[in-house]
Amino acid sequence: MNIEKVKKRVLSVILDLVISVYFIGCIAYLANEWAGLSVDLLYVVIVGVLVAVVQNITGYSIGCWGYGFSAEGKKPWMHTFWGWFLVVLIITTFVVGWIIVQVNPYKFFMKFQNAGTIVNGIFSPNLGILSECLAALAETIYLALLATVFAIPFAFVLSFFAARNLMPHTLLGNTVYLIIRTIATIFRSIEAVVWAIIFSVWVGIGPYAGMLALMVHSIAALTKLYSEQIENIDHGTVEAIQATGATTLQTWVYAVVPQIVSPFLAFTIYRWDINVRMATIVGFVGGGGIGLLLLQQQQMLRWHNVGIIIWLIAAVVWTMDIISAKVREKLQNS
Amino acid sequence: MKSIIQTTNLHKTYDSGTHALKGINLTIHEGEFIILLGLSGSGKSTLLRCLNRLIEPSSGDVTILDQDVVNANPAQLRRIRRQIGMIFQQFNLIKNLSSLTNVLSGKLGYVSLWHALAFNHQKDDVAEAMANLNRVGLSEFARKKTKNLSGGQQQRVAIARALMQHPKMIFADEPVASLDPATADSVMKYLGVLNHEENMTVVCSLHFLSLARKYGTRVIALKGGKIVFDGSPQEIDEARFQSIYGEDAEEVEIR
Repeated sequence: MNIEKVKKRVLSVILDLVISVYFIGCIAYLANEWAGLSVDLLYVVIVGVLVAVVQNITGYSIGCWGYGFSAEGKKPWMHTFWGWFLVVLIITTFVVGWIIVQVNPYKFFMKFQNAGTIVNGIFSPNLGILSECLAALAETIYLALLATVFAIPFAFVLSFFAARNLMPHTLLGNTVYLIIRTIATIFRSIEAVVWAIIFSVWVGIGPYAGMLALMVHSIAALTKLYSEQIENIDHGTVEAIQATGATTLQTWVYAVVPQIVSPFLAFTIYRWDINVRMATIVGFVGGGGIGLLLLQQQQMLRWHNVGIIIWLIAAVVWTMDIISAKVREKLQNS
Repeated sequence: MKSIIQTTNLHKTYDSGTHALKGINLTIHEGEFIILLGLSGSGKSTLLRCLNRLIEPSSGDVTILDQDVVNANPAQLRRIRRQIGMIFQQFNLIKNLSSLTNVLSGKLGYVSLWHALAFNHQKDDVAEAMANLNRVGLSEFARKKTKNLSGGQQQRVAIARALMQHPKMIFADEPVASLDPATADSVMKYLGVLNHEENMTVVCSLHFLSLARKYGTRVIALKGGKIVFDGSPQEIDEARFQSIYGEDAEEVEIR
């Protein structure tokens, strides 16, 4: 047996274990919901593992099918055990999901009057607090702008070191590439809202915390977008500039930068657009600006004030959307 | 004649496992116009790029102008490279920049880092770049972005860029493969002039035997990473041609 086959077998066992423990867990959950039967988690795992092992050894399992060990060969799924098992698994997932999420169409259609106060507020906004709202809105727009602008130099420099085609295939080159890519991925997978919570404790509630949150997130996101753009450049130009006897830095400036300026600008404007939208959400958790104002008014149940804020946010997002689309279109054609 | 390029037992194996060069032993003399023949994938591009280490050779030695290329440190390598003008099938110009800036980029091996970073070019260099553009008949296109030029014009900008290096030799990797026959000949003409009038050594890969006969002083043919022919262009008859390009090949006359 060669290594490749052993690897596949192990992967198929892992897949079967995950599937069958999950499936038994779903059944235990339903038994608890519907029949009040409380099953210990330990038993779920034991039964799940047993089922998986039996399935995998006999070859009647999804894992075996996925990795080519199925006892059922290439029969169409309707005539196989794994096929129907998969169907049952999908249906079970929907049923369990429906219960967990507490889906209730009745409430959606019959309890509309509860939202009446908000709808009423939206259609009779309180223009009396307009100046206060505009100040908060300015805060939001500026914090999004600064977060984007401050992120550019960091992302710009980092992106060169996170581009596979520019980093030499040496130990140092690979390490630098991997470290920057990994950190960027981790920072990007932490939502801006979470960063806002961290920074609102760090520097205090307000627009500054919101800006820092968006900036960190933007650096990570832009580094990824920029470096992917660099990886797509025409390598021939790089070769030609290297062949003149240019240094690495000269090659980057002459062969790489001219090719990436306009896509970089397009990405950056797109990022600003996203940041303005996120700035509102970030405001909810202590990032200042219009989001914070919205949260306060909502908590005091001042629906007419909430109404004006919603209109203003919609107007800004809509305007940003149009401007950013127009500018990006221009850049792409230039 | 003085030998200017020398390779000893040069091998290149790519990470993918392709053994592109299998022991190339080659001596090129000053003033020669070498034509590299061979099918796509025979190792022509790899050989050219191994000579100035745009691709790292796997083993073997390369000597250019009495300098050891393979063991050169980065600074030495740059000094070797700047004496070799290189032109490519796809021209490899910076498309968003003007012809003049592209030609000026040929000086990068000579200027200080900070001048280059600021795109701040010396007056002399600009005058020289204009002169070189004039030489390839493109002075009125100096301020035009190169992406708006035709293929033949772009290749001439690339030649002007190479001239900025004051090269001792020119490497040309299928310089006319993307051009129509008439334009191809006009581009080759410039290389021919450099070879004749300035005694510049040219190493040029090609597919057209007619151009090889017209401009080449010596033909080196590669097949499967090995040299299968080394001689004068006139020696290549039907049989030789088929042994290089395969049984089914027929010579195509392009003019």
